[in-house]
Amino acid sequence: MPSKSSANKGSVDDETDQLLQAVILADSFNKRFKPLTTDRPKCLLPICNAPLLDWTLEGLALAGVQEVFVICRSHAEQVKATIQHSRWSHPSSGLKIVPVMTAKETFSPGDAMRDIYTHGIITSDFVLVSGDLVSNIRIDEVVRAHKERRKTNKDAIMTMVVKESPKGDSAITSECLHYEPVTGYPPKRIAKIPRGVLENHPNVEIRNDLIDCSIDVCAVEVPSLFQDNFDYGDIRRDFVHGVLTSDLLMKNIYCHIVKEGYASRVQDTRSYDAISKDILSRWTFPLVPDDNYPGEHAYDHLRGNRYVPKDNSVILSRTCKIGNNTLIGPSTRIHDEAQVIVSTIGARCSIGAGTALRNAYIFDDVTIGPSCVLESCIVGAGVQIGEGSRIDRGSLIGDGVKLGPGTVLKSFERVSKQRQKSNSMTIDESLEDENGDEVDADDSELEEAEQNQSTLSQGLGPDSEAFVWPRRSGQKCDEDVYENEVESFNNRRLMRLGDDFADLIPADHGSITSEDEDDKGLGDEDEGDEDDDSFSQNASVSASAAAAGAVSAGEREFQTEVGDTLDRAFLEGHSLENASVELKTLRMASNVPLRRVREAVVARIVEKIPLVEGAAPQRVEIKKWVDRWGDLINLIGSVDGVETVSILQYHCAASTRFHLFGQILAALYQNDIVEEDDIRNWHALPEAKGEDVRNSDLLGNLQKIWIVGARMIHEFNEQESDDDDSDEDVQSSEDGDGRATAA
Amino acid sequence: MATDPQAAAGQRTVEALAAKLRRRQVVGSRESALETALVLRQVVSKARFQNINQLVEIIRSVGRKLIEAQPKEHTVGNTVRRLLHHVREEYDNASKGEATTSANEFSIANFVLQGQPRRQVAEKEAESTLVLKEDDSDDPDSFSRTLKPVVMEAIQDILDDLETVYDNIAKSARDHIHSDEIILTVGRSKTVETYLKSAAHYHKFTIIVAESGPSYGGHDMARSLSSAGISTFLVPDSSIYALMSRVSKVILGAHAILTNGGMFAITGTLLAATAARAHSTPIMVCAGQFKLTPLWNLYHEYGALDFADPSGVLGFEEGDLVDKVDVVNPYYDFVRPDLVDVYVTNEYASGIIPPPSMYRLIKESYDDEDNEL
Repeated sequence: MPSKSSANKGSVDDETDQLLQAVILADSFNKRFKPLTTDRPKCLLPICNAPLLDWTLEGLALAGVQEVFVICRSHAEQVKATIQHSRWSHPSSGLKIVPVMTAKETFSPGDAMRDIYTHGIITSDFVLVSGDLVSNIRIDEVVRAHKERRKTNKDAIMTMVVKESPKGDSAITSECLHYEPVTGYPPKRIAKIPRGVLENHPNVEIRNDLIDCSIDVCAVEVPSLFQDNFDYGDIRRDFVHGVLTSDLLMKNIYCHIVKEGYASRVQDTRSYDAISKDILSRWTFPLVPDDNYPGEHAYDHLRGNRYVPKDNSVILSRTCKIGNNTLIGPSTRIHDEAQVIVSTIGARCSIGAGTALRNAYIFDDVTIGPSCVLESCIVGAGVQIGEGSRIDRGSLIGDGVKLGPGTVLKSFERVSKQRQKSNSMTIDESLEDENGDEVDADDSELEEAEQNQSTLSQGLGPDSEAFVWPRRSGQKCDEDVYENEVESFNNRRLMRLGDDFADLIPADHGSITSEDEDDKGLGDEDEGDEDDDSFSQNASVSASAAAAGAVSAGEREFQTEVGDTLDRAFLEGHSLENASVELKTLRMASNVPLRRVREAVVARIVEKIPLVEGAAPQRVEIKKWVDRWGDLINLIGSVDGVETVSILQYHCAASTRFHLFGQILAALYQNDIVEEDDIRNWHALPEAKGEDVRNSDLLGNLQKIWIVGARMIHEFNEQESDDDDSDEDVQSSEDGDGRATAA
Repeated sequence: MATDPQAAAGQRTVEALAAKLRRRQVVGSRESALETALVLRQVVSKARFQNINQLVEIIRSVGRKLIEAQPKEHTVGNTVRRLLHHVREEYDNASKGEATTSANEFSIANFVLQGQPRRQVAEKEAESTLVLKEDDSDDPDSFSRTLKPVVMEAIQDILDDLETVYDNIAKSARDHIHSDEIILTVGRSKTVETYLKSAAHYHKFTIIVAESGPSYGGHDMARSLSSAGISTFLVPDSSIYALMSRVSKVILGAHAILTNGGMFAITGTLLAATAARAHSTPIMVCAGQFKLTPLWNLYHEYGALDFADPSGVLGFEEGDLVDKVDVVNPYYDFVRPDLVDVYVTNEYASGIIPPPSMYRLIKESYDDEDNEL
């Protein structure tokens, strides 16, 4: 039937019209997986025997993404080659994958975003994920919601996907680590929220039960924002935080809370462990080994979540024990009496007789001798482990390592292939290793390690070809500047495979706060941060009473600067926009809270109003000034009528233009700079009555002003009842205001 | 032939459906069967072949790809097998003509091996006008030119069959359901829903719907039935046994019916069937002909039950517990043949087949050589 097929074609065409693009940040920008990541990029590490990148791509394909840019840095050639040889490059895969290589100087996701911007590859709103994501969430729904929102609000630049997590997750479950514990240690107990947020949004929901899926739907302009703000490094800590705390950018970030589906990132060895288990226990369905498996081989699902390859190439001894949640790669042989429990084993491996694997992750081509014990460890490809070895929990063994018989690796030991320096006797191909990430940072560590190699490697058996890395300690941290908090030793422990943190119990992880602007239930303007000091300072300063108390030198300088700027603006008749831009830059330069700017502006306007005799001419003068400059009060930043009135009150109380308050307020009200509700709210404030003010003159004036306000509100009330009775027109009510204030 | 752009376009639609099946974007037995038939139509309409073997191989390769992508949607393979059966039938009719209409010997051996020859005889009369020239070197397209319309017609028949399957099954509803019966069903099955609604035109009866966790399709089913004016109760799965003594008949849907008379059906069906057996309550299964699957030992495969993700049973909100237990969430139950009393399909006028005769119906519907594609 031609009608149906043509309809199909039509829908395809529609989709190409708005190609859904995705950007994969295929580099982790950290080295938590060292030494596994010396020879290959993290995104090609296998999880459940399929490279991480393939899981990510499958997740994106599931969501209907058509064009994918893979941003790779370390081992970029490898990533490129892998993509070319994978089934994704097949024309029928429906995905167009473009590997983008970035410069070596790219050290953070922010740098990568700037790189994307300079490449100019993004043509529409896109999905931003990292190359280690395992997800079955229907991102297309989020994209649709995002585009819907963009239609009404151009400033909604980003939608973050978060998932509801178990409530009260103070205990560390594997899921708990799926979101970024910004300061897992020391535990963070106080989250500070700027007051402005609470004032502008009547309904705020504070949640610490959301898992950050690290899937963002970004608007086209997001990369350019990174370009403009060259100090943005991390997407969450810097970008989201920066956008939300800046009242200059005026952009919104939304949250999409998904109720079902699975998404999480392999950020560290601990989440590697957790996600492997989640895949094996089918949380990621249909992304499971026996179904929509991104790897090459097909697996059969047996009772107890055991997965064996369909091609019957595995040889299991009759007496071996295969426990639950186990994946065994093709052509692997497991000998007599061996035990494999909650582990994944790669292709072409051999597990010796009587060897026990518990919670171990074995990559391809690994030979493990008889009578070994491996616990909670990751063993790289091609590793050979001799008879009777013992690998304790948390150990990482790099690709190609050879461990002699009787090797004992203590907990959290890291072992890699022997690595000769260029000045050493043998010239090794391991010079290639220099291409690994953060070589510079490694060098000092390595030199030190080489000196101590004799002590470090005493656990190794004879005939070992291995290089033991020094153990990390709390004192010696080799961190990059921008990572210092996240990558601190104690925090890293939370991300480490097999660590039970007996000695450090985090009470509460960093949490995500989302607020609901309206009752629609859509979380918006997510505050994805809780650990920024400048942020909390801002909040506390503006929260302190606004009385003209001790002002620091910097602020005094700012006051005069603002004064000068305004004087110039008044004198030369600048446009409101220009004046507000100038004020904003001034504010940025001297880093003062918004309230100070507002105070300065209000003060200047009040002082500039010429004093004339008689109520009516005075009112005309006031109206002239307020008409011309009043809007500036709201243009400098967020609109806050209550604050404006409050500032006006305090300024008038301390100034000679005390009697003008009523008229100015009326003028502001008529120009819609303050609303009736603002005046009512101000009037209800304790500080409006002059509480906490010791100075008796000031107090007296404040109270007089308060009474003026009371009268005004009385007028409002009368008006309302008048309105109820008869349809009096607006003009007369405004006259009413004038009368009240002139009196 | 692979370089042919038209064939490539056909391949693309196959790949697209394979991806959709693999990603579970096409689920449900009828949906999969429909999609498969549509893809087959596109492939066949663009395919070029010179003899019957090429045509059969083209169709089979499509079937292989789709089945490999999603072995658990059995209707995909069934649709392909059905088409192959039709193709061979048409071909035999056209090539042999009336000369070989000698298969009318009724022997037990013939009966078992070849199924019922009844329909073949009937159709041969009508289709003898085609003249087929296979492997004609002068005009390589002549074969496909003559056979293609017939094959397209066969595909259209399959599609029509799928469109009308519910109503055809429901034709017999009036005779099977009586007034004042209490009928139990599990979850949501479009077939059962249509069946019950059509019976409601003639009789007044009561339906108990088990909600069938964790998918809770029973909620929709109950809503739909009660909006059709049928007195409906929605009960949790746990109370099936307790209510069974009141129930006069159990009517169930199926996902796939196997050759031995057993079936795969939504989770909770086995529970209901076992409870019904304990109370000797008759069990009827309504299923379209496209669900008949020429396989019989799938229940040995643990994975055949299609285990979905555990969040429906025990979500992340259970927190600490999740780590400590292994949760299985099978999507289907395998119901043994001895638990089912009768199948109602759209195949015969009466439509009733007892499980032990299922193999015959399946033999009739498909060719033996297609059991493994």
